[in-house]
Amino acid sequence: MNRKGFEFSFAWLFAILVGAVVIFLAIYATTSLIGSGRYETDTKIAAQLESILSPVGTNLEDSKFVRIGFPDETRIYNRCSSIGIFGSQLISTSVRSGIGKEWLPPGGEIESKDKYVFSKSVLQGEEAYVFVKSFEMPYDVADIITIYSGEYCFINPGDEIEEEVMDLRLPGINISESLEKCKPESIKVCFSSFDRDCDKKVSQTDVDGLYYEEGLVYAAIFSDAEVYECQVRRLIKRTSELAEIYAKKSEFLAGKGCSSNLAGDLGRYSSLLGEFENSGDLRVVKSNSEEIEDKNERLSCELF
Amino acid sequence: MKDFRANYFKKGQVKIQQMAFVLVAIMIFFAIVALFYITIRSGSLRQDVETIRDEEAKELVRMASSWPELSWKDCSACVDMDKTLILKESENYEDFWDVPFLQIERIYPVPEKGECTRQNYPDCSTITLIKEEGFIARTSFVALCRYDEGIKCELGKIHLGFRSAE
Repeated sequence: MNRKGFEFSFAWLFAILVGAVVIFLAIYATTSLIGSGRYETDTKIAAQLESILSPVGTNLEDSKFVRIGFPDETRIYNRCSSIGIFGSQLISTSVRSGIGKEWLPPGGEIESKDKYVFSKSVLQGEEAYVFVKSFEMPYDVADIITIYSGEYCFINPGDEIEEEVMDLRLPGINISESLEKCKPESIKVCFSSFDRDCDKKVSQTDVDGLYYEEGLVYAAIFSDAEVYECQVRRLIKRTSELAEIYAKKSEFLAGKGCSSNLAGDLGRYSSLLGEFENSGDLRVVKSNSEEIEDKNERLSCELF
Repeated sequence: MKDFRANYFKKGQVKIQQMAFVLVAIMIFFAIVALFYITIRSGSLRQDVETIRDEEAKELVRMASSWPELSWKDCSACVDMDKTLILKESENYEDFWDVPFLQIERIYPVPEKGECTRQNYPDCSTITLIKEEGFIARTSFVALCRYDEGIKCELGKIHLGFRSAE
């Protein structure tokens, strides 16, 4: 009788068990390291993007344009919160990867209270175009930073917008006389006559129900409604805080013999801004700001 | 008569012990490699954080004079000292700029030393808006303007700090 056979000793069993545990741990550690590495890279890119956005602000110029390139296709996540005195801006990114899942959840969010980024909630591309305009109501409040990517077709945008697009050579924006001349894959933005093929309709007062004033037209075109309304609320909160500072400055200068009598108007303006709910209220804010601007221009010691 | 079963059992025990020692040694080796890797990675990460913060601080200090809360009308490199003094009293702006240090300093004509208050203004040298512990400062020259029987502008500096990653 052949009693030869493979002897499956305890030593073998032990080696296989421990070996399996070691291999499992090694694979787990490697995937965790790759995951945390991608999270780290995504967070670093968001921090760099935030850092790049700081110097793009306007000084004496009306508007500015910057092109931002990414090492690979990148998603920019733009989140806004209007809670608190000034609200906050939260930017995070996720870079497409060739290893494992193509897109992972974004890295850490970079928060800032003094920036106002208008864009889609999730913007994707290897390049992003940053267009900056100053927001004055009636004094300088902040820079409106609009980020967009992809192709847009502006149909009969009017002289002012056409001139601005041409002067700054804004990439990805083609100006056309009719809808038919637009590239089929582009987002069609109609300004004067509205067709059902228009993706966005810009009237004298609003862009698909998002009301605009003072340089906010591009922000309304390139942003999601939720982001736009939140950022506008944040801008108005800062306008209100600045009104209080100018009111106090008016009182301070009066003590130095340079009376302006604008403190009361600015106080009321600040209260009005405190009642701001959505972009539909911008028109009222604008008319009040024009009144204050007129009064300020007549002062010997101008406040702003 | 020899007990073969007992010998066989001892030999097996030794083999298992040898294998266990080898496996423990491998585990320790991997743990040391992982620790080494993590130390290097966290060191480079700290350096990256420091670099990004430093670059941002350099850009911010260059742009600070154009912030609406500090700027003098129609001049991008001028700070409104009257407005800045009022801003210093505002609690709402305490954590608005995410920086640990922000100070305006008059340097010429050489002023009287001391922090500005409503009582000693404008005979003072500094207005400190933010001051926390543990920062590295970056500086930029600016014009400091105010109303004093007409518009008066002097030479000054903005100091802006960033948090050290240490």
